[in-house]
Amino acid sequence: MTAVTARPTGTGRPGATGPTASGAPQRPSKPLHLGTKVIWVVVTIVVVAAFWSIDISWDALLTLPQKLVHYLGLMFLPPAWSKLPDALGATMLSVAMAWFGTLLGIVISFPLSLLATRGLMPAVVRWPLRGVFAVLRAVPEVVIAVLMLSVTGLTAFTGALAIAIGSIGTLGKWGYESFESVDRGPIEAATAAGASRLQIMRWGVWTSAKPDVYAFWLYRFEISVRASAILGLIGAGGIGKMLVDNIQFRVWDVVGMLMIVVVVVTMIIDQLSGMVRHRIIEGRWELPVVTALRRRSAKRARSESVDLKITADD
Amino acid sequence: MNQNGAGIRFEHVGVTYPNGYSGLRDVDLAIAPGEMVAVVGLSGAGKSTLVRTINGLVPITSGEITVGDVGLHGLHGARLRRLRSEVGMVFQSFNLAKRTTVLNNVLMGRLHGTSAWRTLLAAWRKDDIELAMRALERVEIVQKAYANASELSGGQQQRVAIARALAQRPKVILADEPTASLDPPTSHVVMRDLQRINAELGITVVVNLHFLDLARRYGQRLIGLRAGEIVYDGQGTDADESVFEAIYGRSLTAEDVLPSQPVELS
Repeated sequence: MTAVTARPTGTGRPGATGPTASGAPQRPSKPLHLGTKVIWVVVTIVVVAAFWSIDISWDALLTLPQKLVHYLGLMFLPPAWSKLPDALGATMLSVAMAWFGTLLGIVISFPLSLLATRGLMPAVVRWPLRGVFAVLRAVPEVVIAVLMLSVTGLTAFTGALAIAIGSIGTLGKWGYESFESVDRGPIEAATAAGASRLQIMRWGVWTSAKPDVYAFWLYRFEISVRASAILGLIGAGGIGKMLVDNIQFRVWDVVGMLMIVVVVVTMIIDQLSGMVRHRIIEGRWELPVVTALRRRSAKRARSESVDLKITADD
Repeated sequence: MNQNGAGIRFEHVGVTYPNGYSGLRDVDLAIAPGEMVAVVGLSGAGKSTLVRTINGLVPITSGEITVGDVGLHGLHGARLRRLRSEVGMVFQSFNLAKRTTVLNNVLMGRLHGTSAWRTLLAAWRKDDIELAMRALERVEIVQKAYANASELSGGQQQRVAIARALAQRPKVILADEPTASLDPPTSHVVMRDLQRINAELGITVVVNLHFLDLARRYGQRLIGLRAGEIVYDGQGTDADESVFEAIYGRSLTAEDVLPSQPVELS
């Protein structure tokens, strides 16, 4: 009987299919995808729980656009330009905080990143240092500043120190990574010429890594400028402090003006610093925004010429 | 800039790499002061190892090498650096620091005699700068002294590398396949530079070459290596078909010669 050769699937198929099933390959059973189903259930539970716990006030959500327009009106129609000199003074303080903090970070991180470089120092020295860099990178500047408040008080200096400590983490990592990635050739050449370890560092490693390291320093300064505004929010002085004070007293037109100043100043510093970085890496001056616009117009010119060709073909 | 070359003597030299691969086996070799020697062989025959043992870049595991009157076995620290300062080296891939000037690259040849603070501040001594400029003049590239090394062509970079070796006031110049990254006419220019340095300054030159015709043309003496052992040692002009078979394990083909005539230096 054919039933003997057929696999006992337990589905109890009618005997009519028996003779043909022995010739054709067996149909696959539908895949279960148990893992996917479990994940879907868990995600759903998490989403529902999240909605439950944050206590959404649906009324507020409905009136949000209307309120937003109202407050934007208070802030920007018109902004309080009379307070602009104060704002610029506070901005100067923030930028100074960022500048000093970054500079201090550079001074401290530079020798440390040398010590963390493979080929210069044994692993016993390297790995603990890399661990310190990783921890410092993981902690936001604001948290560092809050931890330091008890020691140095709520001053711009505290902010600068927080920025310095925060930048050691990133600058240290970027430093040893660029030292390790330099071309081995000049190192070999310096060794063959009888150079000492220090001389190999200076002429085999540093000349190659220098432009990258300078660019990192500038980039870190750009990050610090943004961080310094945030540090002001916890009271470390500067534009952030002025912003939070005016929000507390609901002086919305000053808040609007300050927001404009923060955005404009940050963008200007980004552009200038980007220009210098471009000069260091590429060897010529160029404003990042100009580069972007030029690239864009070049692309448009290309697509237009393609369009013209298509219409010409018609 | 006139100085005499140093002799080099290999006595039962063996090199075994940490992974167990043996680079040189019981090599005996005497190179006279002021000689120009070309070393040929297949890749992996030990050419690079042989040249790099002479300045200690590859440590020898048995035997002894004497450069001038200094024994290399077990040499380390300040004494090894001192020996290296007397042995210039030219590399296949030039090994210039590309992000600095040609002059700084040549001055790297003076590092051994330069103090720590001068090194850090790039405050080179006047004599050293003069020496570097003269080295650049000798390889006819002094007009590029203040250009960045990255702006130079391959042939120009190799000549800067030769100037760097010259700035060491070396007794020996080692060249590890100096023409392998260059086109044929440029290869001849570089080889002619090395030949001129050998003839005019009396510096001993040991050069690894892949191409046989270059080796025969420019090496007074030809050394053939195969599997870490010397299989030929004699005049380049005497090396015939049977010698090439001994070195390469097959007869000479068109691939083994550089397909170009030498160009005249202007």
